[in-house]
Amino acid sequence: MNRSSKIIRYVSRRLIQGIPIILAIVVLNFFLLNLAEGDAVDVLAGEAGSATPEYMEEMRKKFGLDKPLPVQLAVYLKNVIQLDLGYSFRHDMQVTELIIDRFWPTLILMVSTILLAVGFGVLLGLFAAINLNTWKDSMVSVFALITYATPLFWVGLMMIILFSIKNDWFPTSGMENSAMFYEGFERVKDIAHHLVLPTITLSLFYLALYTRMMRASMLEQYGQDYVITARAKGVSERRITFVHVLRNALLPVVTMAGVQVGALIGGSVIVESVFAWPGLGMLAFESLFARDLNLLLGIFLLSSALVVAVNLVVDVIYCFLDPRIEVN
Amino acid sequence: MKLTKIMKGVLAAASIAAVGSFAQAQQAGGSLVFLVQPEPPTMAGYVSTSGPIGLLGPKIYDGLVDYDNDGKMVPMLAESVDVSPDGKTITFNLRKGVTWHDGEAFTSEDVQFTIMDVLKKVHPRGPNSFKEVSSIDTPDAHTAVFNLDNPAPYMLRALSSYESPMVPKHHLEGQDVKTAKLANNPIGTGPFKFVEWKKGQYMRLDKNENYWREGRPYLDRIVGRFVPDASTRAAAMEKGEVLYAAYNAVSNVEAVRLNKEKDNIGLTTDGYSMINPMALLEFNTKEGPFTDAAVRRAISTAIDRQYMIDTIFFGYGKPATSALSSNFSATGLHAKMPNYPANGDVAAANKILDDAGYARDGNGVRMKGMFDLIPYGEDWKRGGQYIQQVLGEIGIQVELRYEDVPTWLKRVYHNYDFEMNLNYFYQLSDPVLGVHRHYGTNMIRKGTHFVNSSRYSNPELDALLSAGMTTPDATKRAGIYLDIQKILANDMPVVNLFELEFLVVYNTKLKGAYGSAMGAYASFGDAYLD
Repeated sequence: MNRSSKIIRYVSRRLIQGIPIILAIVVLNFFLLNLAEGDAVDVLAGEAGSATPEYMEEMRKKFGLDKPLPVQLAVYLKNVIQLDLGYSFRHDMQVTELIIDRFWPTLILMVSTILLAVGFGVLLGLFAAINLNTWKDSMVSVFALITYATPLFWVGLMMIILFSIKNDWFPTSGMENSAMFYEGFERVKDIAHHLVLPTITLSLFYLALYTRMMRASMLEQYGQDYVITARAKGVSERRITFVHVLRNALLPVVTMAGVQVGALIGGSVIVESVFAWPGLGMLAFESLFARDLNLLLGIFLLSSALVVAVNLVVDVIYCFLDPRIEVN
Repeated sequence: MKLTKIMKGVLAAASIAAVGSFAQAQQAGGSLVFLVQPEPPTMAGYVSTSGPIGLLGPKIYDGLVDYDNDGKMVPMLAESVDVSPDGKTITFNLRKGVTWHDGEAFTSEDVQFTIMDVLKKVHPRGPNSFKEVSSIDTPDAHTAVFNLDNPAPYMLRALSSYESPMVPKHHLEGQDVKTAKLANNPIGTGPFKFVEWKKGQYMRLDKNENYWREGRPYLDRIVGRFVPDASTRAAAMEKGEVLYAAYNAVSNVEAVRLNKEKDNIGLTTDGYSMINPMALLEFNTKEGPFTDAAVRRAISTAIDRQYMIDTIFFGYGKPATSALSSNFSATGLHAKMPNYPANGDVAAANKILDDAGYARDGNGVRMKGMFDLIPYGEDWKRGGQYIQQVLGEIGIQVELRYEDVPTWLKRVYHNYDFEMNLNYFYQLSDPVLGVHRHYGTNMIRKGTHFVNSSRYSNPELDALLSAGMTTPDATKRAGIYLDIQKILANDMPVVNLFELEFLVVYNTKLKGAYGSAMGAYASFGDAYLD
């Protein structure tokens, strides 16, 4: 059997294995979320000021909240299997529609964050490892420590004060200019302009992680036998670092990035909140307080599906990075 | 026909004002971006009175009338209002040539449908406001005659576009009003048309070119922005990305700072008189440590209301002096009562408890209790901490509890599983609309939020409350409410703390947005950018 058909078989088997995992997550989430006091009707009626008990009873009936929990779960699972994520009664919209609406902003922010964090993290880690135990190495370590230890919301607010209020370089918040409503290429530029501060804020945090990891991973690889062999063969240090060590050192970083992509798609409540970025994290956060369980379960379902998918992709990427690893 | 004359006088004044305002040079055009916090759940202002709906809804929907800053009626969809001498027939003469945003004509049938089939049935407060309306006649397309079972003087205070928006019959008839598509695609007769709602970002409203007011609105567009983080909202205000913020969207501490540091940022407390927010303590009068009115009187006596206002709310607020807000002085209903000392009197409070026979134990504690706090942010937590401290001085040891909104609502209004609760209520434009729900025996309704959670029941008070509802004569009504306030100042199922003064923070570029008693809940037809 050749390699590509092996990979295809492997991927399909893993996908089938993923289905029970995702269903188990749905069931678990369902019961966990139902442990919370109060329901969507309480919140809606509370916000409305006053509502009669009859009206609230009627709403519960309409939302299906009057049925026993196992029945509610069965109905939900039946819908999920038919790829119907249900209806958000709070937003009066289909859950799928709401999630897709928020998925793109999340994706834009997360992809740019991961690229920036992994890219710079790898470079800085590499730089530190090459200049091991010099002042350059220490500078990188201190930088990583500070960015990792600083609370995200504070970094975000300082960014806004520095680059938006003191210097009028970037807008404070939002995804596009809501006074102008640009279209076409102007809109792309406008969104990119709004993207800068949240991306930098969020990637500063992850950057530190990748820097430290890359540095440690490089040092570990330098100690391996194959490096000694290569030196004995007379391979140049430059070639050892960039061809042999770098490639091997990347493996743990890729693993880490894979795990994080899945988690990041769930959004970052803090950065989304500080920069009013319309991502999934804020949506999930708000739905929790509104007890909008359909929507929340939908977001969790999407996140878990993505984690399963991304892990699979990472495993496949391994095969290419390290030919010794085979799928079977 | 007294009211008729008043209304006509107001109309004349309003038209003069309108002519006068044309003389100034208002600029047409421009976009107003303002803060809406939090994001509204839907735009169905006819089903929900949720605050953020009120910020955007009245730009899209009109009411029959509006109210100026003195609380006087200003014509809107109704050009004039005639009240019969017995107060039981109210005729609204509707404006001609008004169209909905989809081009259909606005007629008296829409009014009839809105009141009878929508507000009276599904609006949270509508069943109260329009309780006495038994039918509405529509002799022609521009006349709506309300037939009332009893006089309802308060009803004329509940006709604004926030409280009672007029909705299109042709989009709701024959459907379940609560689930109709109109909730997310509002179609009104107001100065701005709904264009787009980007969840988590903004709602965009564009100018209604066919608005019934000649030359209005001035603005081309109104955008409500949703920014979850309070510091970012203040930054957006500081930078001029948003020009207007109400209902604490920018916190008092930031508002005061911006006003001091920036020449172009102003503050006002106008625009909340029809809302009348009142901070208060609700007590469980059936179970727990606070069932004795003497204890509640002692608590009311001990709290330094002015101190709370000054230190926690930056001086914005007025100490409560009775069960009614002092804003009801305008209609002669408010009277100052004992047991509400502005600066607190710990010695007197201790004496009340001593006299009632509550002895202190070895640690100086007379009784212990649980104190729930409204989960609406830091200010309320601090308020709770202050009250905890002052109650400690009079030997009442309370433990604070701060939960999330649904849990808290369920605890207080479903399970009655609370002892003392810090909260605030909107007293609205008339006690019937905003205050009765807190005290009437008929308002002990398990599972309904923001009603009589104290389960206080007093037949004498109930009789006075229903008399207050149906007495049109102003002097007699004032007498009734004087008795009501006396009873409540003694029994205190609820201890009013202070009248909240919310702020409106605005950029001085924005003009003409401050003329309505509805404040941020107004139409903004006259707003323009300088």
